[in-house]
Amino acid sequence: MSKFIREELLVDGVKTVVQSAGTGEPLVLFHGAGTVDGFDFAEAWARRFRVIVPYHPGFGESGDDPSFTDIHDYVMHYLELFDILKIDTLSLIGLSMGGYLAARFASEHGHRVKKLVLIAPYGLDVPEYPALDIIATPGEQLVPMLVSNFDALKPRLPEKPDMEFIAARYREATTFARLFWEHPIDPKFPRYLHRVKMPTLIVWGDEDKIIPVEHAQAWRKWIPNAEVMIVKGAGHIVHRDKPEVADAIGKFLG
Amino acid sequence: MAGTLRFNVMHFMPYVHLPENHKEYKTTWVDFPNKFYDPVKGHELYQSYFEQLVLADRLGFDAIVLNEHHNTVYGMMATPNVVAAALIPQVQRARICVWGVPPNFMLPNRLAEEYAILDVMSKGRLEIAFPLGTGMEYWSNPVNPATARDKFRESLKIMLQAWTADGPTKYFGKFYTYRFLNPWPRPYQKPHPPCYIVGAGSPETIEFAAELGFGYSSVFVPQQVALQLNQKLRERAAHYGHILRPDQLPLLNFVYVAESDEQAEREYIIHLQRFFEDFARSSPQWLAPPGYLSMEQLKIRAAGADKMHGGFDFKAISSAFFIAVGTPEKVANQIGEWTERMGTNHINSVMHVADMPHWKAVKNMTLFAEEVIPRLRRGGA
Repeated sequence: MSKFIREELLVDGVKTVVQSAGTGEPLVLFHGAGTVDGFDFAEAWARRFRVIVPYHPGFGESGDDPSFTDIHDYVMHYLELFDILKIDTLSLIGLSMGGYLAARFASEHGHRVKKLVLIAPYGLDVPEYPALDIIATPGEQLVPMLVSNFDALKPRLPEKPDMEFIAARYREATTFARLFWEHPIDPKFPRYLHRVKMPTLIVWGDEDKIIPVEHAQAWRKWIPNAEVMIVKGAGHIVHRDKPEVADAIGKFLG
Repeated sequence: MAGTLRFNVMHFMPYVHLPENHKEYKTTWVDFPNKFYDPVKGHELYQSYFEQLVLADRLGFDAIVLNEHHNTVYGMMATPNVVAAALIPQVQRARICVWGVPPNFMLPNRLAEEYAILDVMSKGRLEIAFPLGTGMEYWSNPVNPATARDKFRESLKIMLQAWTADGPTKYFGKFYTYRFLNPWPRPYQKPHPPCYIVGAGSPETIEFAAELGFGYSSVFVPQQVALQLNQKLRERAAHYGHILRPDQLPLLNFVYVAESDEQAEREYIIHLQRFFEDFARSSPQWLAPPGYLSMEQLKIRAAGADKMHGGFDFKAISSAFFIAVGTPEKVANQIGEWTERMGTNHINSVMHVADMPHWKAVKNMTLFAEEVIPRLRRGGA
């Protein structure tokens, strides 16, 4: 069973569900645009850190705020949440869309972020290696593309998607569309990335079908100090295909 | 039904030349390749569709109804105001209904201007309906479905301000800023042409129509649902102090008239089947882009879509929806019964569907005008 303790907070009027485990320095995980497969992999870090996994507004168990129309609204949301949780400095891990959010947070509030881990982050435009347009990809096609070996994900999905599952995904897609339907990419984003000066690890699966692994080098171009770790045989959700990546990330975090 | 009956001809202007392998495509919307569009054939189709609509005017129909769809064989009226402009000099008497342009895909002042131009050109014969636009239109236009309802409300507010307040006025909203809202020309009809909202029955849209005192045209909803919608709409409109007139609740229906019931079915059913199976062939993904539906509506519509599975069944479909096929007597009785039950006197009939040849459309309209309308007018007088 999960070691996580579930807590329900009200952040600026938005119900925010936070799961946490362990004690020590805070380590916050920002999830991606889907919350299908759970966060148990983050428990590995709870031996040395106070691991905190919040659900973003509009995703999973947290409430909705339709006025969130920009990724920056989430940065502001997390400033509030961290005040409530009395977190000053922290390490930050972001997956996919959560990687974009983590990089945003780190570029704006670098003095608070000790270490940054970006796992297949979203947010850069690499014309030669375009990311999959997940908004236009039907769910039944998208889900198997999330990993290299579908068996790694399958047990975490309902056998036949029921209405509840479909509705939950539709709600998360709606939240995502509010942020990215009209402007999937913010062309100004990279120009501020050089402000990410803390030790940074970029993790990418070399079989990523959502955001091609070539994006890793593009991120490194904008964050010159970043270390890049390519995981062989892994897809977009790197840690599902290769759970051992959690230990490698743990080593980087120290 | 009390009051004068009113008869519209509604046309979709479909592009009928589907490639032979079209069944290999899951849908004929959004991403159905436009290499299949042949402009030479398109030209011929416009010729015959315009002929049909001009004929409708001569036959004595009260109005001609146009609508907008994108990226599809379903209709060749991506910009219906262009079609309306071409029809105005040819249509001498009938009203021209653009039902309509989704305001979200236009700048509101520009749409207010276009409609005003059509209204002035036609000497006040324009009627307007405002659709949110189907889900498919949001995949085809650069507009966010997740904020579509807010934007829709704001667009309508701006258009009404443009038409009713003496300009220049200002408007500072969430989506638009107008420092000088002052469109020329202004509509011929005062305060503006008759307005309806078009929808498939989401409570948000009904509430908005009720609030504005607009008519409401429900599309492709089963009879039972349409009945409930009309009742709901009257109640909600009354709540805002508007008494809805019967003509504000147009009844969308499909009709085909022939010499006998058997002949009508033989001539018609194949086209109706193609309409549902091929021309209206969409997908759950296209119908519901993210944020287009509330969670509640998503669940209701998903449940409804399950019921529609199982292929085309004429008997089932014609009893569930407003579809009348048969002799003039049968069709007149059917329509008479609908108008009584629905509390409307406004009959909005689709008389050409899918790949129906020109001659059938002409015959259908002619028999309807000469044999059905007089029966209903006599009965309803």
